[in-house]
Amino acid sequence: MYRDVPALELRGLTKRYDESILALEDFDLRIPAGSFFGLLGPNGAGKTTLISAVCNLIRVTAGEIRVFGEPHDSMEARRSVGLAEQDINLDRFLTVRETLTYHGGYFGMDEPHERADELIAAFGLEAKRDVRAPRLSGGQRRRLLLARALMHHPRLVILDEPTAGVDFELRQDLWRYIRRLHEDGTTILLTTHYLEEAEELCDEIALIRDGHLVARDSADGLRAHFGVERLQDVYVKAMAG
Amino acid sequence: MTPFVWLCKRETLRVSKLWTQTVLAPVVSSILFILVFGLSLGGRIKGVGGLDYEVFIVPGLITMAMVQAAYANNASTIFQARFDRYVNDVLSAPMPSWQMTVGYTIGGVFRAVAIGASLLVLALVLVSVPVERPFALAAAVALGLALFSSLGLVVGIYADTWDFTTFISNIVILPLVFVGGVFYSVDVLPSPWEELSHFNPLFYLVNAVRFGFLGTSDVSVWLSLGVTAALAIPACVWAQYLFRSGRRLKA
Repeated sequence: MYRDVPALELRGLTKRYDESILALEDFDLRIPAGSFFGLLGPNGAGKTTLISAVCNLIRVTAGEIRVFGEPHDSMEARRSVGLAEQDINLDRFLTVRETLTYHGGYFGMDEPHERADELIAAFGLEAKRDVRAPRLSGGQRRRLLLARALMHHPRLVILDEPTAGVDFELRQDLWRYIRRLHEDGTTILLTTHYLEEAEELCDEIALIRDGHLVARDSADGLRAHFGVERLQDVYVKAMAG
Repeated sequence: MTPFVWLCKRETLRVSKLWTQTVLAPVVSSILFILVFGLSLGGRIKGVGGLDYEVFIVPGLITMAMVQAAYANNASTIFQARFDRYVNDVLSAPMPSWQMTVGYTIGGVFRAVAIGASLLVLALVLVSVPVERPFALAAAVALGLALFSSLGLVVGIYADTWDFTTFISNIVILPLVFVGGVFYSVDVLPSPWEELSHFNPLFYLVNAVRFGFLGTSDVSVWLSLGVTAALAIPACVWAQYLFRSGRRLKA
């Protein structure tokens, strides 16, 4: 039923940082429920700012954000979103299992232990369940970050460059898991610098530059619109303005 | 209330996991003060207000240990969470801002109470310190912890470097507590030092706690509690404002 309501709707979203940098300007976006949506753009385009605004991690200058029809700062909307940030931001005092159970608790789960064990198994972290985050390898931290984002069964999962700097095998593993998640009905918003990743995974791709939406369509639609054969060429043309 | 309970659990877990640093170390250093200044040198010092010197200094030492712990704990927990950005896990959670404020405050309170309770037990064994006015003591401790836990949060949120949090502790709080009458009654100070002591807000907290333990203090307990409350309330409001507005926590 909730598929009638967009998973994410931004209207006139503007964010100006204290140093007067305009990261997003009058940005409109509507992401249908159940879609796999890619956000592409160079560094500084405003992708992370957009995600941070949705997740209540920055103060919005102007505009409206709705998550499944609810204001983004409402408790209901917050519960609906799972975020895996670009940078590893794990609590250094907690073990793998504690990281997941405490996150579940913060997001309102009464009994998060079973779910934590399920995700530890799903992400191959059994041997590290009682190890603190700083002692994990880079790949294990990346897995834990994704597991944490999924812990509370969010309906909208936001992945900010989840495969940046990970090896080929882990990237394949993460793709497999994300795909399965999407097949189960979860809406995914993915930002990435890897064009093949966006093409492989996303139903629809939005190109963003200097805080503005440049184009949005399926990979095929973008190629047709820009009159080129490869997504790389779409990207180059779009970013060249 | 579940998210709030889990944040409280996380903050107390951090104290428990690091108990040798967070509880044992301050208890040992305070007990050393009692042993050195009280039991060793105390015999050479005339009693204060009819009390043995080793008994007189116990309330001030407990106050000093508790307020420093409450401040340091909360300044470090929120600074670390900001620095490593795992505070985002809490800021994005379905938790009203007041629950974030109180949840982060709880760690400092828990640590300070653990230290205070340990010191009280040891002081009872070592110097038989009385607890004459338990309700006044509870009120003074509650206000003192509200003040310093909140101050720790505020400083930890504003701090750009780790050094800044320790600077406030070492250059502001510690000297003010020391000259606030921990080791002496301000009555014995010559003018103008006695009068100047009354401008030290920590003097009132030390005296309120001393009244709770010993039943005597340099000033009225109501004045002491009033001054401490007058400082604690704005500190709590300031911490809550920061979590509610997101100032310094969110870009």
